[in-house]
Amino acid sequence: MLMSVLFANSSGNVLLERFHSVPGEERLHWRSFLVKLGTDNLNGARDDELFVASHKSVYIVYTVIGDIWVFTVGKDEYDELTLVEVLHAITSSVKDICKKAPSERVFLDKYGKVCLGLDEIFSQGILEHTDKDRVRRLTRLRPLVE
Amino acid sequence: MATQDNPSSTTLMDLITSDPVPGSDASSAAAKGGAVIEPRRSFKRTNLLQLPSESVNSIKILSPAKSLVPLKQKKKPLSYSQLARSLHELAAVADQKNSQKQLLHHVFPKLAVYSSVDPSLAPSLLMLHQQAEDGHVLRYAYYFLARILGEGDTQSISAGGGIPTPNWDALADLSSIGGITRADVLPRIIAQLTKEAENPDVSVHPRRVAALKALTCTPMSNTDIVSKLYEIVFGILDKVADAGKVRKKKGMFGRQSVDKESALRSNLQYVALSALRRLPLDQGNPAFLHRAVQGIACADPVGVRHALAMVSEMAVRDPYGVAMAVGKLSLAGGALQEVLHIQDVMSRMYLARLCYILSRARGIDERMDLRSQFTTLLYQLLLDPSERVCFEAITCILGKFDSHESSEERAAGWALLTSAILKFPDPSAQPSKDSSATQGSDGSTASNDSVAKFPKDRPAPRPRRPQPLIRLVMRRLESALRSHLRPVLHAAMRIVQEIGKSRAAAFALGMVINEDSVPENLIENGDIIKADSEVDGGDPAAEVSRTKVVPLPSSLAANSRESIASMLSNLVEGVRTTVACECFYVRAAAIKAMMWMQSPEESVEELKSTIAGELSDPLWPASLLNEILLTLHARFKATPEMAIILLDVSRLFATKAPGKIDSDVLQLLWKTCLIGCGPSGKHTALEAVTVVLDLPPPAPDALEVSVLKDHSSTSDPKAAVALQRLTQAAVWFLGENANYAAAEYAWESKTPPGTALMMLDGDKMVAAASSRNPTLAGALTRLQRCAFSGSWEVRIVAAQALITIAIRSGEPYRLQVYEFLRALAKGGVQEKLKEAYVSNGEDQGASGTGLSSIIAPMLQVLDEMYKAQDQLIKDMRQHDNAKQEWSDDELRRLYENHERLLDLVSLFCFVPRSKYLPLGPTSAGLLNIYRNRHHIDATTGFNDPAVATGIADLQVSTVTRIEYPPIQIDAAVPSPSDGLVDGIWSSNLAGVDRVNAYLGGVGTDAPEVEDDTATTRASVSYDDMWAKTLLEASDGEDADEQLSGSSSPESTASFETSVSSQFGSSRYPSLFGNTTSFGQNTRWEEEHRPGTRFGKFSGELTSLAEDQPSYVESSPANAPLHGTHWQSGIGNQEPLHSPSSEVPSRPSDVQYPEEARAGKALYEFTAGGDDELNLTAGEDLEIEYEVDGWYFVRKKRPGRDGKLSGLVPVLYVTS
Repeated sequence: MLMSVLFANSSGNVLLERFHSVPGEERLHWRSFLVKLGTDNLNGARDDELFVASHKSVYIVYTVIGDIWVFTVGKDEYDELTLVEVLHAITSSVKDICKKAPSERVFLDKYGKVCLGLDEIFSQGILEHTDKDRVRRLTRLRPLVE
Repeated sequence: MATQDNPSSTTLMDLITSDPVPGSDASSAAAKGGAVIEPRRSFKRTNLLQLPSESVNSIKILSPAKSLVPLKQKKKPLSYSQLARSLHELAAVADQKNSQKQLLHHVFPKLAVYSSVDPSLAPSLLMLHQQAEDGHVLRYAYYFLARILGEGDTQSISAGGGIPTPNWDALADLSSIGGITRADVLPRIIAQLTKEAENPDVSVHPRRVAALKALTCTPMSNTDIVSKLYEIVFGILDKVADAGKVRKKKGMFGRQSVDKESALRSNLQYVALSALRRLPLDQGNPAFLHRAVQGIACADPVGVRHALAMVSEMAVRDPYGVAMAVGKLSLAGGALQEVLHIQDVMSRMYLARLCYILSRARGIDERMDLRSQFTTLLYQLLLDPSERVCFEAITCILGKFDSHESSEERAAGWALLTSAILKFPDPSAQPSKDSSATQGSDGSTASNDSVAKFPKDRPAPRPRRPQPLIRLVMRRLESALRSHLRPVLHAAMRIVQEIGKSRAAAFALGMVINEDSVPENLIENGDIIKADSEVDGGDPAAEVSRTKVVPLPSSLAANSRESIASMLSNLVEGVRTTVACECFYVRAAAIKAMMWMQSPEESVEELKSTIAGELSDPLWPASLLNEILLTLHARFKATPEMAIILLDVSRLFATKAPGKIDSDVLQLLWKTCLIGCGPSGKHTALEAVTVVLDLPPPAPDALEVSVLKDHSSTSDPKAAVALQRLTQAAVWFLGENANYAAAEYAWESKTPPGTALMMLDGDKMVAAASSRNPTLAGALTRLQRCAFSGSWEVRIVAAQALITIAIRSGEPYRLQVYEFLRALAKGGVQEKLKEAYVSNGEDQGASGTGLSSIIAPMLQVLDEMYKAQDQLIKDMRQHDNAKQEWSDDELRRLYENHERLLDLVSLFCFVPRSKYLPLGPTSAGLLNIYRNRHHIDATTGFNDPAVATGIADLQVSTVTRIEYPPIQIDAAVPSPSDGLVDGIWSSNLAGVDRVNAYLGGVGTDAPEVEDDTATTRASVSYDDMWAKTLLEASDGEDADEQLSGSSSPESTASFETSVSSQFGSSRYPSLFGNTTSFGQNTRWEEEHRPGTRFGKFSGELTSLAEDQPSYVESSPANAPLHGTHWQSGIGNQEPLHSPSSEVPSRPSDVQYPEEARAGKALYEFTAGGDDELNLTAGEDLEIEYEVDGWYFVRKKRPGRDGKLSGLVPVLYVTS
């Protein structure tokens, strides 16, 4: 299950987050854990460089695109390699929406579209579309295949 | 996140919207990511146009640093209420381009920042949903409607993060007619979306898709919507799935050739499958399975993924049904084969799962072809270009599917991996799929160590040679280990761990797998291929039964070929190099993998050096190190023979990173290793624990820090303190467990009684001790060293550990400790050390060791014990010489002394009260006589209120007149000297011992004991019980012991409580009057009618009677008849007026007085059975005899029912 997707800026401030089946009190722990991971590892990282972490049976894969840190947290079938797929879907879509690796400004400008994109990429802890073209079509309410 | 009132600071909303308005009162706290409370703000419709200037009142997710971000000055800040209002306004004119633009660029994106969507927005959204035409706007409308639907009653579960939405109530007055609640809007939203989802109009099908998706966000607790959704989904699938069979589209998304109708069908089928997956799995519904299986052939890859996910989930519960349903698809050219070539990684991953589940399904034994298809598919997935899929296939083959896998499955998995062969499907058999089928095989260019690309139009290559799985897997893992991607490395490490686990399971189960065999031979020798072809495509379950995989004749092996062992060692080498990865998580996974790959026979040096090297890195997070320790623990569980190796490894953690290691985790490891390593390994296990004590003692002039001369951690005072704590823990552990490890207990000592006093020569004593039990002697020596050479804290714990051993051990160990403690108290030890001891000016305490105050009470206890033992021996001699029996008074004094000493001893450590004899083994007989006479429970002793208040004695004479002699006394047991047949139990020491053993927890048929092993194993010894207490005592093992001396985590009191609750009198409230209160007796008398329940009780009595002290002071009434004690009355004293045939069958329970007594009914009593008698209050009766709380009475004249005699409860009659 895909437990969480979280975006933060390079100062470690959460910009956007989605949780599934994570109780409210645990979310705080996750936020601080993820942000700490980012602070420890993502400064100076290349775009799309993949990082991995684990906590018991929960996996975390994260990366940085532009000024934005992206974290994915999953368990069970959403192991580190599946999370790579998820992360790839997310980053390619975000780049597609923002036209490039986003700066924080651009990301915030496209905030709404990013939300729609994420809604197509996963919902309720389940991965849906990984193809950025499909995501783009769906966010415009166009048929998947024409 | 920090928030500020400062206008220069920014919030997420500020950033998104505009520059903050100066003077804004936007002040809010913000937790990370967002827990901020926005003050309630309400506004009236009349105010709609007067936007409040103070607006953004939300979480400041951003830090002050973010104020540097350039903001677009033209924008205005917006509050939630403003947004809501804007939405209302713009929704009304949604057809205008300008308003659409406003919505798209200003309202919706900002609204998305909030964590939830206010239901009061729903009317506007619904209006937009109906009127808007722009796809973007509509998509937003669906998005927000879905969020409203999804935000169930509990906000905390909602998925959306971000700024907390202002309280809905505050906004409720937006509506002139009152607040809008979820309950108001939900039905409307659902109705509108449902209508749209059911709309078959082709032109609006994207909206249909979006509506259905939004509907699936509704919490599944809503049964109405769930059934509605089923209806819609099945409606769609009925139309599209069946029709879809006609036109097969090989093309995935993006294919130009796809015709419109097929595209539409594919889209709808996808969305229906997606919705179906979110609905509760309807296991028994054939339609559900049918549609899901049909979905595997869906043209949409994501639809296929959902279908496979559902089918594999259903397959877990009903493998046979699913196998039959999927069977056709698995054939060559079937949909399952096609999945191999779908680009979607997760589809192929689910395919691996499905194939694994189905291939091991028991129900399809008769369909070997099916099983073979599934197995071949699974093996083919090993060649998948994606590591994710390949690794999933490996874990499936290894027998790890979910957390419930058994070690048998794991072992079978390892056997399968080492023996099975992938035979590629014959390309000629499936001409239509030729190109695609070979793509998979190409992916397999594993033999070339390259991950296949996925060429679409490659010509069919020649048939491929079969490949042994192990080789494919090893090649794949090796190539993964060369990856530069951390997730791939991490995953590969996990897979290596899984391999190690399965291998360990195979070892544990005694499977002999010759790792020196060369798998290549299997495929090079045609005959062998044939012979083994059943393995390929064969039955993995059948592999389970195969305990030996036949190795190949080595003569066949080509010299250049790798054996399994060499492949494994290459793999481990690869893992070892991965430890160089800069990511700690990957390194930790690599170390874990190495631990799992370590086999008991191999040298542990490499593992140790790797770990030692790693641990010198100060940056390791403590949590990861503790996780590795837990892996050690798991490794031990898988292979208990490795206890010593693992303890050796754990020592590295203890010494290299003591500051980061949770000493509880380490102690747990010690404990389980000690208990699990078997009788032969205990000595070595204890030695391994004591390595912590072998660390160089601190130098006198730098007491704290230089604990570890040769370790980097010494410079860290925190680590030094942690090491000291660890040492304390080790010392405590040693004291607490040395007796267990050495199997030496005072109460099971092999030393004959009285030997101790003859062994006063210290040297002889030590020599005898070490020759008899080197384990205990070794532990004592180390503790003695700690008691004078450690830090003060360690010395205290060591003294406590020593007294624990002294109390628990028999002679000569006790005496040895006694002598040592005495010397220590007197400072004698310091005398010995005087030369080596350099004072740093600190007062070391008057005694020289600073332990006098601790040791004094310990010595006192030992003194008292020895004195009392001495006295007892004298007394016994006196009695023997005078041929004089022990009087009750003397016995009482003896017993009191025993109890007092027990109490004293229990202050220092736990001892089993029922077994422990502070007065020495010779006291057992006398104590038992006294106990039995006075019905004192051995476990509780004087702590039993009944004994303390004297009720136990009273009970005998006044209440408990019926005693139950042992029914199954062995006839061979000689009669006691008093010659009474019935008194066989009264002085049966062996029996008493059994009672004590039972009460001490050794009983073999103690009911309701939680630990199964304690009851089922025939040879449960005290060791086992001890082990159990060790295992359970995970808490409170802190080395910071109380000075009071109770060093055991199981305090005496708590143990007593648990023992008495399990074995004590309260368990059998009424059967033993001597140990129960009146109330309990009475209760039982009321509950248990003899006529109806005796049959059931007889069995219980059998066991209980054996186990309970049964020497009874006979009541005056009984005395004349039976001299002293038991009334067995075996059947020959039938009651005169048996009311029913049952009474004679319980003769042993009955006491027969010489003549009937007169009695009177106190209350009215209604007979509950044939043998019972109705009573009227005040009626005169003759009591003939009493049986177990019931009187057999005779009336003077027949009652209403015509009966003259029968049983009545004792309490209903006054005599």
